Amino acid sequence: MTKLSNNPTELNELKALWQAREQSNSAWLNQLQKHAFDIFSSSGFPTTRMEDWKYTDTRNIATNYPQWLKTQPQTIAHTPALLDIDNSIHLAFIDGHYSPEYSGTKQLPPGIIAGNLGDLADCYPGLLQEKLGKLANNNDSGFVAINTAFACDGAALLLPDNQDLEQPIYLSFFSSTPEITIQPRLLINLGVNSRATVLEHYSSNVAAITNAVTEINCGKGSELTWYKLQDEHIDAWHTAVQYAHLDQDATIKTTQIDIGAGLARNELRLTLAGRGAHAEAKGLLMADAQRHVDSRITVEHTAPETSSRERYRSILADCARGVFNGRILVQAEAQKTAAELTNKNLLLNSGAEINTKPELEIYADDVKCAHGSTTGQLDETSMFYLISRGLNIDEARNILIRAFAGELLTDISIEALRNRVQSALEELEHGHVK
Amino acid sequence: MLIKINNLHVSVNETEIIKGLNLTIGEGEVHAIMGPNGSGKSTLAQTLAGHPNYDVTAGTVEFAGQNLLDLAADERARAGIFLGFQYPVEISGVSNIYMLKAALNARRKAAGKPEIDAVEFMRFVKEKAALMKLDQKFLTRGVNEGFSGGEKKRNEIFQMAVLEPKFAILDETDSGLDIDALKVVANGVNQQRDDKCSVLLITHYQRLLDYIQPDFVHVLANGQIIRSGDKDLALELEANGYDEILAAAKA
Ligand SMILES: Nc1ncnc2c1ncn2[C@@H]1O[C@H](COP(=O)(O)OP(=O)(O)OP(=O)(O)O)[C@@H](O)[C@H]1O
Ligand SMILES: [Mg+2]
Repeated sequence: MTKLSNNPTELNELKALWQAREQSNSAWLNQLQKHAFDIFSSSGFPTTRMEDWKYTDTRNIATNYPQWLKTQPQTIAHTPALLDIDNSIHLAFIDGHYSPEYSGTKQLPPGIIAGNLGDLADCYPGLLQEKLGKLANNNDSGFVAINTAFACDGAALLLPDNQDLEQPIYLSFFSSTPEITIQPRLLINLGVNSRATVLEHYSSNVAAITNAVTEINCGKGSELTWYKLQDEHIDAWHTAVQYAHLDQDATIKTTQIDIGAGLARNELRLTLAGRGAHAEAKGLLMADAQRHVDSRITVEHTAPETSSRERYRSILADCARGVFNGRILVQAEAQKTAAELTNKNLLLNSGAEINTKPELEIYADDVKCAHGSTTGQLDETSMFYLISRGLNIDEARNILIRAFAGELLTDISIEALRNRVQSALEELEHGHVK
Repeated sequence: MLIKINNLHVSVNETEIIKGLNLTIGEGEVHAIMGPNGSGKSTLAQTLAGHPNYDVTAGTVEFAGQNLLDLAADERARAGIFLGFQYPVEISGVSNIYMLKAALNARRKAAGKPEIDAVEFMRFVKEKAALMKLDQKFLTRGVNEGFSGGEKKRNEIFQMAVLEPKFAILDETDSGLDIDALKVVANGVNQQRDDKCSVLLITHYQRLLDYIQPDFVHVLANGQIIRSGDKDLALELEANGYDEILAAAKA
């Protein structure tokens, strides 16, 4: 039995808040929430005594979670810092609640369901009941369980079969009320042979807690390009878990970008469950000051002839702390699997630090798997070479840092996102002086 | 006179490598420096380019009327110094052309000029690449990334041709070049020389000097220039090696 990390007052407060929550009209949803809350009641929030949380102390989040959950959203004072994405379908959430005002769903082609999860649960009960909570495992951590226990606000995107959606789907979560807890819940479902591009964007201009859970189903032959940008305020705390399940010949291309937050933890769990499924998972983690960014990815190959490639890079400045854990798991039935995991880390200052752990766990015999990890500083010989050509120290650093980010930056297909990442890189370059 | 080195002493990790070196180079002159392995040739080259690991403990270096030692490495480059490295580094993810454009613009910025026009730049770079018989595919590849030894050296001279320095220090640019490449590289250097660029040519082989006729040849040993002469000195060294000269210098 795991020892409870919440003190009883926190748990009681959460229980009161949970009981007082606005109940759904759907009995199945209430049941799902209740089951999750029961699990949370016995697990609590994770502690550093747990192997998976060894380097990431979430005590501050646990302490403030209930209190900040009581915070009522204030009228938004400034226009939220959203990305200007051409031609996108936009679902905007302000302080955790769906905002029709900032959303833009006019371009939604027929057949596609996109909107606020809570509303859709009432409109399409059958569809959602079939999918919601099926991939997320409340036993994975207290954060997942408590998110499910309150699951209501968030985005749902359901694509029918054979739908090739050109416009990117932009899901933005912006917090502007100080000391608020938001618990976005997302559900993405691609029908057979469908194609879509989705961006989850989290930002804030205040101290806030975000605890998000995303469930992604990729139907047979479908292809999802998924981005996540975590660009929260330095006093904000962010945790998120994504579960993705791939059927036969489905492809998922994920890019996770961490720029902000005082503490951020992201967990991506991919399951390649159909023959021929393929995943490309990329991550670019940037942190300066005293930020803490923890990123983990688990790719589970459960079907034959599946392949995955994971490329994660981090750039840490000042006294930032990074944690990376990459795990490839090949089950016995997943013969002829190919998987490759690389993790490269660039430390710009001697105060920056990273704990990295790539892991392979293989139960099949006919597989091709590789993993590797490197950590280093900017190469001095390269620096001098560029400087000897007339570039000043800052220019030389910028070029080498950008080169390190490499295709993780240049491959981003959404221009506004690429520009944001680019400017974050520049801030990282300039923000700190040798 | 373009550069005047007077009583230069240089230490690396507290060990003195250059021990009182004097050398004066006029505008458009080519000076060859030869000398045994480990005698300090590359140390001299790196020091002049401003590498931070090389400590100048005594002496002066005057360059185009300025105190060179007062300038940081990037300022020296913008003032017109170019170092062709003995071992050019590979920088993946930074294309040759991107680096050159940044380097040219850094010069223009320092001179208060606007950034170079993209079309103009491409035309100029392609012209120089053709001169160096450098395939255009090398322009977009990472700096020296996966280049053969000879290609790297050729790329150094190509960069020199683009950056048009006042003073080029070429550290064993001839090693690893085949005969044809040697001619191409020599041709590139000679063109710069015609444009009044002065050259310090570090080499182990007299052969290079058949293609680039030096005005002076110096022998560097033990951190000092122990003998200077004209191009015939190189022939003499080729025939007799360094023993005689080293012995004479000791006596
Ligand atoms: N960074 C360094 N740390 C320690 N010793 C160094 C360093 N750089 C050079 N040296 C030493 O200084 C001496 C001169 O080296 P340098 O590279 O200048 O010789 P060189 O004349 O260019 O030789 P070669 O003909 O082999 O290229 C050598 O003994 C070398 O080991
Ligand atoms: Mg040398």
